[in-house]
Amino acid sequence: MLRRTKTIIALFAVLALIAAACGDDDADTTTTAAPSGIGEGRLIGMAYDVGGRGDLSFNDLAALAWDDGKVTYGYTGSELAPTAGGENREENLRLLVDGGHELIIANGFAFNQNVGRVAQENPEVFFSITDDCALADDFSLLDLENVACVKFAEEQGSFLVGVAAGRTTTSNVIGFIGGVETGLIQKFEAGFVAGVAAANPDAEVLIRYLTQVPDFSGFVSPELGKEAAVAEFEQGADVIYHAAGLSGLGLFEATKEQNDAGNAVWAIGVDADQYNVLAAQAPGLEQYVLTSMLKRVDVGQGTVIKDFLEGNFKKGDNIFDLSVDGVGFSESGGNLSSSLVTEMNSFKQQIISGDIVVPTTP
Amino acid sequence: MDQAPAVELRGITKRYPGVIANQGVELTVMLGDVHAVVGENGAGKSTLMKTLYGMVQPDEGSIKVNGEELKLKSPKDAIDLGIGMVHQHFMLADNLTVLENIVLGSEPTSRMQIDFAGARKRILELGDTYGLVLDPDTLGENLSVGERQRVEIIKVLFRGAKILILDEPTAVLVPQEVEELFGSIQELTDEGHTVIFISHKLDEVLAISDQITVMRGGRTVGSVSPDEVDAKQLAELMIGSELPSPETRESTVTEVVALHVRNLGITDPTGRAVLDDISFDIHEGEIVGVAGVEGNGQAQLVDALLGIVPITTGSLELAGKDITGWPSRERRERGIGLIPEDRHRQGLLLPSPLWENAALGHQTVEPYATGLWIDRAGARKQTAEIIETYNVKTPGVDVPATALSGGNQQKLVVGREIMADPEVLVAAQPTRGIDIGAQADIWEELKKARASGMGILLLSADLEELIGLSDTLHVIFRGKFVAELDPKQLTPEILGSYMTGAALDEAS
Amino acid sequence: MNNKWLVPIVAPAVALVFAFAVAALALLLVDVNPLDAYQSMWEFGTTTESLISTVTRALPLYVSALAVAVGFKMGLFNIGVEGQYLIAAPIAAWVGGVVDLPAPLHIGLVLVTAITVGAIWGWIPGELKVRRGVHEVISTIMLNFIAIGLGAYLLINFLQEESDSLTVATPLIGDSGRLPSLNPVLEFFGIEPRAGFELGSFLFIAIILGVIFHLLVTRSRFGFDLRASGVNAPAARASGVDPNKMIVRTMVISGAIAGLVGMERVLGFFHQYTSDFPRLLGFNGIAVALLGRNHPVGMAFGALLFGFMDRSALILDLEGVPREIVTIIQGIVVLAVVIAYEVIARILQRRAVKAAAAATGELAEAT
Repeated sequence: MLRRTKTIIALFAVLALIAAACGDDDADTTTTAAPSGIGEGRLIGMAYDVGGRGDLSFNDLAALAWDDGKVTYGYTGSELAPTAGGENREENLRLLVDGGHELIIANGFAFNQNVGRVAQENPEVFFSITDDCALADDFSLLDLENVACVKFAEEQGSFLVGVAAGRTTTSNVIGFIGGVETGLIQKFEAGFVAGVAAANPDAEVLIRYLTQVPDFSGFVSPELGKEAAVAEFEQGADVIYHAAGLSGLGLFEATKEQNDAGNAVWAIGVDADQYNVLAAQAPGLEQYVLTSMLKRVDVGQGTVIKDFLEGNFKKGDNIFDLSVDGVGFSESGGNLSSSLVTEMNSFKQQIISGDIVVPTTP
Repeated sequence: MDQAPAVELRGITKRYPGVIANQGVELTVMLGDVHAVVGENGAGKSTLMKTLYGMVQPDEGSIKVNGEELKLKSPKDAIDLGIGMVHQHFMLADNLTVLENIVLGSEPTSRMQIDFAGARKRILELGDTYGLVLDPDTLGENLSVGERQRVEIIKVLFRGAKILILDEPTAVLVPQEVEELFGSIQELTDEGHTVIFISHKLDEVLAISDQITVMRGGRTVGSVSPDEVDAKQLAELMIGSELPSPETRESTVTEVVALHVRNLGITDPTGRAVLDDISFDIHEGEIVGVAGVEGNGQAQLVDALLGIVPITTGSLELAGKDITGWPSRERRERGIGLIPEDRHRQGLLLPSPLWENAALGHQTVEPYATGLWIDRAGARKQTAEIIETYNVKTPGVDVPATALSGGNQQKLVVGREIMADPEVLVAAQPTRGIDIGAQADIWEELKKARASGMGILLLSADLEELIGLSDTLHVIFRGKFVAELDPKQLTPEILGSYMTGAALDEAS
Repeated sequence: MNNKWLVPIVAPAVALVFAFAVAALALLLVDVNPLDAYQSMWEFGTTTESLISTVTRALPLYVSALAVAVGFKMGLFNIGVEGQYLIAAPIAAWVGGVVDLPAPLHIGLVLVTAITVGAIWGWIPGELKVRRGVHEVISTIMLNFIAIGLGAYLLINFLQEESDSLTVATPLIGDSGRLPSLNPVLEFFGIEPRAGFELGSFLFIAIILGVIFHLLVTRSRFGFDLRASGVNAPAARASGVDPNKMIVRTMVISGAIAGLVGMERVLGFFHQYTSDFPRLLGFNGIAVALLGRNHPVGMAFGALLFGFMDRSALILDLEGVPREIVTIIQGIVVLAVVIAYEVIARILQRRAVKAAAAATGELAEAT
């Protein structure tokens, strides 16, 4: 099993971009209509977080925006990924600064302190950090003129897939698997639980986190993901949502095994449209993906890149929520009934209008 | 005799940088003979035997086996020619059975599987033929010293050896076991085997050999027949001078008790008493000997006196102070010295410089230490003094202990312990495995220490040493002191019968 | 050649050349010109900024190696340095964050806390070995897991400062608890590194630790007992060393030093403990201790070598060369050095034996 898992991971790594591109049908809503060529001769750098390109998750989505931008606008630049422990995040930023990059995307909340220091020292360089912008050392990143904070309303997207789970379950037991118990992943949990409750107050949600801070291996351990999924299925869950990065692969494998054994159960993907990702790289696993909570890092960072090149760099919070399709859900595979999609869309409108306020903490 | 000699070595020379281990050595061993090679440690016996066993390649000279001249590149060549060697230090795995130990390394296979059944049959046959009785299923750790040796001999025979080299085979045996070994050697030669016997126990050599080659300083100084010489002449041939003796002259025993031991007992975790109700006194100026077959509690007695193992019952008083509860460090600091039975195991830090070795056991007291720090200068000075006083041959105080010969290592150990002037010196096997010259030196130092008022507990397997040096002699048997004997009226034979319990059986 | 220098210089040099040669083969396999890769590593690695980074990386590795080496000296394998510093760092950082004292006391309190926590975490396996016969390799590995889990638990539930940030961190240590940068000293000598590269004054703490290590191991009575126990435990015991006390004391000392491994980052850089605090320093310290043969100067070179390689490897990513090649080199260096030391040490021992034989005319027992 381990061997198979590894093979799949390798496959993922190679094909991630193709798949991401495949899943990009509805991505062109925001990054449109910029004059081509405004990036010629300019340098935009990319600092991935742990996992780097090929993680099937936020790194690949950021890569997608960056790669697309190169084609669209004509800029160039370098990309760097840190070591597994992430100790050299800050050094990577400095290397990119030294390389003359004007805008550097720091793709992950773990960068916030590093960005804080490097951005202060290099006020002429712009930074765009994904997910978090709160405090760096003893000042706020929000105060810096050269830092943009790309944030997503993960709880809103998670709420919608929670509705799907609540309507789909027959056992009234639903599972949630978080990669690492951080505030960020707790946003997913909180939104999801609220969505389930809104759609099906009788359903119970089982919560599992794979690892605890500072052990971030929960995002890259399909074995752990599978263990957790099997445990939740054994506790009666028939729909499981994961926010666990690469570890989610274990959930998809466990889901297929359950279905092969005659138990109709579902998995809900995260970040990218995982139905399409799996269909391209691990055919046979995708058919049990009910939907995916889309967190459009590509939209967010793509927007920042475009704004920057057009001279409209916006410091501080750049929030991407349901209203700008920064988060959402996927319908690939056709596993959501049309009535359910209608219901989810109506919840979506209520959230956008503010009639429903989704909690961000469990 | 028209047959070619089994082994013929001519003009063997082996040089190491700065030292000539063998120089023009000649050795002729006739087929079916027991041929003894005698000489002090360092005389070149081991190098010569290693040459014959293919472990060492000579710089000059020729080797003929059964009349055929050849080169031996490795022990494997020697084994293929039917030469086998039983080393002084046995190399058995404790966690394997006798059978497995013998088969190890020469596994006979039948269809890819080790043929244990065949091997077992062969071992029993060999044992039967040569009087080497063994149970093939006993674990190595449960074997006595004599049994271990038998295993080693059968192992060599099992590999088809016709010429056996026995390196100091009797060093570890009691007289009765020696008798059995000699019986087996007789059987071997009767069956056409040739035995080369290395020893420096001259009585034994005279008793068993057909021919004797004497080595000294890397050369052969003669080849004699046992009929032509007695032990004294042979020894003088070996060392080239008059023979020393262990005998002490007049008594120096005082009335002052240095160590007072009462009802000492140790029970092992299985509930067996390894030391049982042992009581004795050592007076200042007295050497108290302890005789016994190895493994009857001597090691535990030493450990108990040094505080290395906890005692179950009894009490110890050193110069009138109760030391029963003292840790070993305090006992050492306050006046118990130790010459351990195995200097490599308990007495030396082989890779460390001599001055650290001299400090070992005294590292907390002057002149080796001041306060919490080691006094390196003081330690070096003291070491130089030990080297000087006790005639330790070494290029300096900074060479590693491993570079010294066994005799010099032992002189260093003896020197550091006596120089520290303890109340009581526990001397276990103080002259084991060293040459006659060094042995005489150490005897002399022990006598001097005794004369200066030190109390000495002497544990030894060398019965002549025990009888010669001791003022009082106890026999230890199965963890008990079973007899107190007067050394003046003892012979090694009588003592040996006490040690095996035979005399006790007769008495009861 | 002077024998005294043969082992410490020739062995690592041979090993290093060998390791780079093997890595060159690996690079050729992935179609990279190894000379180009090594050249860019060298050029990048020897800039002022990189050299500062090299030293900064070397400091925790050196402290970690010292902790491991204390155990090695008596044949104890403290695999638990990893856990010892990962439990000590968050607690010490938290203490530093919640108190406010004059500078030397503030820093001192944090250091003492780290030492104490590390010592306790080292004491546990020592006590387990003495009382229950649990091998320290097993118990320290297990305690590593416990330390990481417990550290996370404490951090999340007790030690973290509430904030809007998604990174979990202890409160920031005030200015009085921060180790000053040595950059002003560098500037005095005309060396002006770019912003973001600071030579920390933890350097002095590491040097002092090295000196203490040297005095403790080679000059003190304790060190004599320690080394004797490592060379020949039965002989040490017969000489009066209580092996149980020795094991516990050594593990406590090893753990105490290990507690300081994380302090360079806590006091000199992060000024807090964060969820992405560097890990693996404990394990890499084992490699550095092997590389430096447990010698305080040797280990300093070992740590600098590792620091240099880690730093210079960063350039490889920008050049499109797999950075893992450096990990391969590090692994091979350690392996090759251990083998080279062993071979050369044997040759030297044989020589010493022969020299002694030449001087005394008697053959040693060992031959």
